[in-house]
Amino acid sequence: MLTKFETKSARVKGLSFHPKRPWVLASLHNGVIQLWDYRMCTLIDKFDEHDGPVRGIDFHKQQPLFVSGGDDYKIKVWNYKLRRCLFTLLGHLDYIRTTFFHHEYPWILSASDDQTIRIWNWQSRTCVCVLTGHNHYVMCAQFHPSEDLVVSASLDQTVRVWDISGLRKKNLSPGAVETEVRGISGVDLFGASDAVVKHVLEGHDRGVNWAAFHPSMPLIVSGADDRQVKIWRMNESKAWELDTCRGHYNNVSCAVFHPRQELILSNSEDKSIRVWDMSKRTGVQTFRRDHDRFWVLGAHPNLNLFAAGHDSGMIVFKLERERPAYAVHGNMLYYVKDRFLRQLDFNSSKDTAVMQLRSGSKFPVFSMSYNPAENAVLLCTRATNLENSTYDLYSIPKESDSQNPDAPEGKRSSGLTAVWVARNRFAVLDRMHSLLIKNLKNEIVKKVQVPSCEEIFYAGTGSLLLRDADGVTLFDVQQKRSLATVKIAKVKYVVWSADTSHVALLAKHAIMICNRKLESLCNIHENIRVKSGAWDESGVFIYTTSNHIKYALTSGDHGIIRTLDLPIYVTRVRGNSVYCLDRECRPRVLTIDPTEYRFKLALVNRKYDEVLHMVRNAKLVGQSIIAYLQKKGYPEVALHFVKDEKTRFSLALECGNIEVALEAAKALDERSCWERLGEAALLQGHHQVVEMCYQRTKNFDKLTFLYLITGNLAKLRKMMKIAEIRKDMSGHYQAALYLGDVTERVRILKNCGQKSLAYLTAATHGLDEEETVKNHSYVFLKVHSDINAIAAKGKAGQMAADLDMDAPGGEGWGDDAELQLDEDGFMDAQEGLGDEGVGREEGGGWEVEEDLDLPPELDLPAGAGGGAEDGFFVPPTKGMSPTQMWCNNSQLPVDHILAGSFETAMRLLHDQVGVVNFGPYKSLFMQTLSRGRTCYLGLPSLPCLRSHPQRNWKDCGAKQGLPAVGLRLSDLISRLQQCYQLTTSGRFEEAVERFRVILLSVPLLVVDNKQEIAEAQQLITICREYIVGLTMETERKKLPKDTLDQQKRLCEMAAYFTHCNLQPVHMVLVLRTALNLFFKLRNFKTAAGFARRLLELGPKPDVAQQTRKILAACEKTLTDAHQLNYDPHNPFDLCAASFVPLYRGRPVEKCPLSGACYSPPYKGQICRVTQVTEIGKDVIGLRVSPLQFR
Amino acid sequence: MAAQQGDVDELFDVKNAYYIGSYQQCINEAQKVKPTSPEKETERDMFLYRAYIAQRKYAVVLDDIKTNSPPELQAVRMFAEYLSSQNKRDAIVADLDKKMAKSVDAANTTFLLMAGSIYYHEMNTDAALRTLHQGESLECMAMTIQVLLSLDRVDLARKELKKMQEQDEDATLTQLATAWVNIAVGGEKLQDAYYIFQEMSDKYSSTLLLLNGQAACYMAQNKWEEAEGVLQEALDKVTSRYLSQLKDAHRAHPFLKDYLAKENEFDRLVMQYAPTATA
Repeated sequence: MLTKFETKSARVKGLSFHPKRPWVLASLHNGVIQLWDYRMCTLIDKFDEHDGPVRGIDFHKQQPLFVSGGDDYKIKVWNYKLRRCLFTLLGHLDYIRTTFFHHEYPWILSASDDQTIRIWNWQSRTCVCVLTGHNHYVMCAQFHPSEDLVVSASLDQTVRVWDISGLRKKNLSPGAVETEVRGISGVDLFGASDAVVKHVLEGHDRGVNWAAFHPSMPLIVSGADDRQVKIWRMNESKAWELDTCRGHYNNVSCAVFHPRQELILSNSEDKSIRVWDMSKRTGVQTFRRDHDRFWVLGAHPNLNLFAAGHDSGMIVFKLERERPAYAVHGNMLYYVKDRFLRQLDFNSSKDTAVMQLRSGSKFPVFSMSYNPAENAVLLCTRATNLENSTYDLYSIPKESDSQNPDAPEGKRSSGLTAVWVARNRFAVLDRMHSLLIKNLKNEIVKKVQVPSCEEIFYAGTGSLLLRDADGVTLFDVQQKRSLATVKIAKVKYVVWSADTSHVALLAKHAIMICNRKLESLCNIHENIRVKSGAWDESGVFIYTTSNHIKYALTSGDHGIIRTLDLPIYVTRVRGNSVYCLDRECRPRVLTIDPTEYRFKLALVNRKYDEVLHMVRNAKLVGQSIIAYLQKKGYPEVALHFVKDEKTRFSLALECGNIEVALEAAKALDERSCWERLGEAALLQGHHQVVEMCYQRTKNFDKLTFLYLITGNLAKLRKMMKIAEIRKDMSGHYQAALYLGDVTERVRILKNCGQKSLAYLTAATHGLDEEETVKNHSYVFLKVHSDINAIAAKGKAGQMAADLDMDAPGGEGWGDDAELQLDEDGFMDAQEGLGDEGVGREEGGGWEVEEDLDLPPELDLPAGAGGGAEDGFFVPPTKGMSPTQMWCNNSQLPVDHILAGSFETAMRLLHDQVGVVNFGPYKSLFMQTLSRGRTCYLGLPSLPCLRSHPQRNWKDCGAKQGLPAVGLRLSDLISRLQQCYQLTTSGRFEEAVERFRVILLSVPLLVVDNKQEIAEAQQLITICREYIVGLTMETERKKLPKDTLDQQKRLCEMAAYFTHCNLQPVHMVLVLRTALNLFFKLRNFKTAAGFARRLLELGPKPDVAQQTRKILAACEKTLTDAHQLNYDPHNPFDLCAASFVPLYRGRPVEKCPLSGACYSPPYKGQICRVTQVTEIGKDVIGLRVSPLQFR
Repeated sequence: MAAQQGDVDELFDVKNAYYIGSYQQCINEAQKVKPTSPEKETERDMFLYRAYIAQRKYAVVLDDIKTNSPPELQAVRMFAEYLSSQNKRDAIVADLDKKMAKSVDAANTTFLLMAGSIYYHEMNTDAALRTLHQGESLECMAMTIQVLLSLDRVDLARKELKKMQEQDEDATLTQLATAWVNIAVGGEKLQDAYYIFQEMSDKYSSTLLLLNGQAACYMAQNKWEEAEGVLQEALDKVTSRYLSQLKDAHRAHPFLKDYLAKENEFDRLVMQYAPTATA
């Protein structure tokens, strides 16, 4: 049982859940009705109008209403939106025990100590029916959730079921008039038609306190003072007692069916809540309180939530955890649902059951740890008594039928939590809270002493997070030491980012984000429960509370992304998709708008280009963003959002952007703006702007002073004139004073009638005109020098400011420079060191020599001793290397080359395909050899280790290895294409070379089947044909064509070429050459033959057309002018050395590899095609597959 | 070993960085750590200088270790000297032979390791194994395994590995040695070897040594594309300066040595064949 919320108050006698909102109503013994938000844990409202205890309370399913009934005999209907009682229904003559709304009709059902049950129409506000029959207090009466039935419980020891279909027909049938119903006081007036007792359930032998219908089955549960809970079954005609649940040892106050499971909940004055299994009629769970008797139970209509009222408050609770156990790896989500482990592929959304879990535990799987290397899972199950918790280790079957998955044997052991710490190790926190490391066989490998710890979490390979009462410790399992600790109370879940650089620690109401070293980066407090979280790919933590999806940046910024109706468990976040599991364990994908946190992230990371891009392209406007930016110290960014000139102006001022502010001020042209701008500009020393501001605001005093301090005497004089015009005596006088203009001052004083002052001034500065002038100039000098001083100071100030501006830059630059110098110095020093080292080295060498001098005499006997010591250690002989095995296991030349056994490889090639000249094979041998081994480092500074990739590595065992061959038939075939291209483009010599490499490579192939053997042989044929043909053509081009005989020879060779087996595209070219040559030689008959062969190949239209023309020309005189050594009708092979036809039946010698033909004199020579084999040599034949040895 | 199990090794990070081939980090850690005893200080210096050796900064080692430095460090110096100059190697080996002929202080594991390393470089595996046999430390055993593997004695290497596992199965060296043996055994063990390297990369940092090991595993499994990916990652880690250093070192690389030897052999063998007739 998990308590979600608790209140303290007077005795709670009635409870009702709101069907949609997270609210619960509690009616109290002191007359107050409380409305609580159990998710936010706050009291929303209080309704205090009843006099005395309120026992009946019920929310209306659709309307913002609730009904209450109390010991003041009153039924009150309230509107919680209006926060007041709408009306009161009077009629009962004693305490009212329960009040319920009908789920459909406008009815209220009330049960009272006056022994009656009443049905009220809350729209007409009248009593429509009185159900009499009980002969003691009626403690409870409830409507059936779908039928026209009422169940009631009474202290007369009976439970009654009433049929109210008559009442419904009478009141709610079409045409029924409200007035007809009025004045129902005597039910029996028209016979017992409105509501009749259907069943009387007798079986309790004390008063019955509560009775309730099952939401779907024809069952009733009741609880009574005989301390029993009874289950009753009914049908149309009768009702009977089904079973009794015994266990409470005091009056049972309330009993309800679980809305969705086969459970009954009851509570009692024995201070306990009990959960009963309906089918087994046994107690499943008991929850006790120390001092409080329970009075009432409420079940939430849709959610897995219950409430119970007791002597000093109430509790909202659920029976079991609803969090699914899940683990994410890469693109895969593993989760447990209905005793199956399921796998969801995030990319393809393919959701399959991969295995069935071993049954046997009544508790759901609490948590899961997945091991991708071994494809194994640890499933932890928590028992009510923690010490009985267990975990199961399963190896997930590799292939599985989703419809009927395997149920592999798991390994079960006791332990609170089990978490993988390496591919073949997991850590178990056992019930004694000590840490065990186990292997895949579930055997204990070692025990680790850990600091006090109540829970362990995954923390990457070889590490764990240990939770104790007030913190989390990062613990290295290998070194057995704590690496770091962070203080945070009661962490429940831990979410690592994909690269494990950050971790989010989730507690009930707090989130802490730390880095890998467990240094706290930020701390977030939540008022609502934190549920789950996942890292998105940009490093933002997305988490859920009971009712929100929120984000947190590692900088601590966090906010709401969207609201949720029901809690979800985030499994992964990608882009704007949040993948999650809901409480029914269904995988879901929610869409979120990531703009806000992306924006903030970009700001934090100072990616201003991104920020600006988002500013321009995303719909990001809004006061909150602007306020955020302002608050976080990015007014300059906020500026970009703002269209409103006023805000723009104040933002510009805030970030000191005088230009923008000036623009805005011009647009606004308000006095206050100019004033503020003036102030800001003055602070920054923008005196032109300041001047403008003062001008706009007509602030002459300030303007004057500005001119004074900037030393702008000309303008100051103008100001004096303006003052004079404005008849601003004081301003005028002040300006004159500033200017040191005594005559002016005298004049002003005179003009304004201050004659004596004028005289005094004149006298002070000299009585007569001259003296006045003199003194005037003196004063002027003085003032002026002051002004100059001020101006100079101002300038100096500006200069200083300028200097300041420069100074840090200079320093920074200097730093860099110095740093560089340092580095150089360091480098030098190092180099110096190096030199010194070299010097010393010689010294060292000398020392060694010195050492050398001493030992010889002393050492001889010791040497003998050393020899004796060898006695107990015999160095092993060299083992059989894989390469030796390759030679033993294979007769294929390439395997021997790869093994580095050139000698045997050559012998094989010699015997199989008659290679006698290995020169051209050198590069192929060396390349192949390099493929035969890999090197990897063992211990540092030691020669590397070698490994030998094998093609049958999966099943060769220790002895049957064969080397992996890098060369594949398909590679060679694809290389053929390049050769064809070279041929097409007429680069014959290059092409021949390439063809030859392919040809020579064929004996170095390893193929698996007959088809490929045939293909390999075919490849040789193709290469041969091309090499012969192209070599001959190259040869032909070199020949002279001066005499007729020479020309005849050229024609013959061209003709032979057409008998090489080439690709059609090349054959077209060859035939055209031959055709042209023969036509020119006037051998029209043979030419016509070429033309026909050419046309058969379907050349391009223009070629075809020309060929047809030539053919037509030939056909006119179908004769050959000259006799040539060429008979197209007599099949022949071509001698690859002399390029003469060897007609069938004549002796011929062949190359053992390429199969090229030669006339007998060439026997024993090197084949012209391969350049490696001996013509006419007797050989075994090409061997490229083990099949050929069977 | 009980003490080792219980106590926290203050030099763990230093050693670990060295073994996984993260030499600069090893040096940094060594310079940071404050050893609690003179023995630990010597041990730290030993790793520090060996990391320098692995970086081929022999001069630092030769310069820093004086004649009055502890014998452990003298051994390290000897190895640095051996590696630094090709032409003094014979003299050093001769000297070493003499030292070995005397009774050797088996407690000076460093000396055994350095002597073993030199013999191994000389391909005198008998002497190397005989030397390492006297030591009981994990690293002696690991080096023994490496020598045995180079002799293609996987059977003996497995026995030695078992000893290591009995001593400390989770130690970095044991894990690495397990990977080497797994590669030599082949078959499905290759995947295990791969995971060992992968886990170390995850746990500490990915180094050339670990990536190289992963690539070898991939290639042994004929997973060429994957191997290329890992090798590319390794290449990306190498700065150009380091690359030229490596090229320098290539001449002595066993792979290249083999290659050249084979080339000569080829040329010799070619002479044994000739066509029966010439044109």
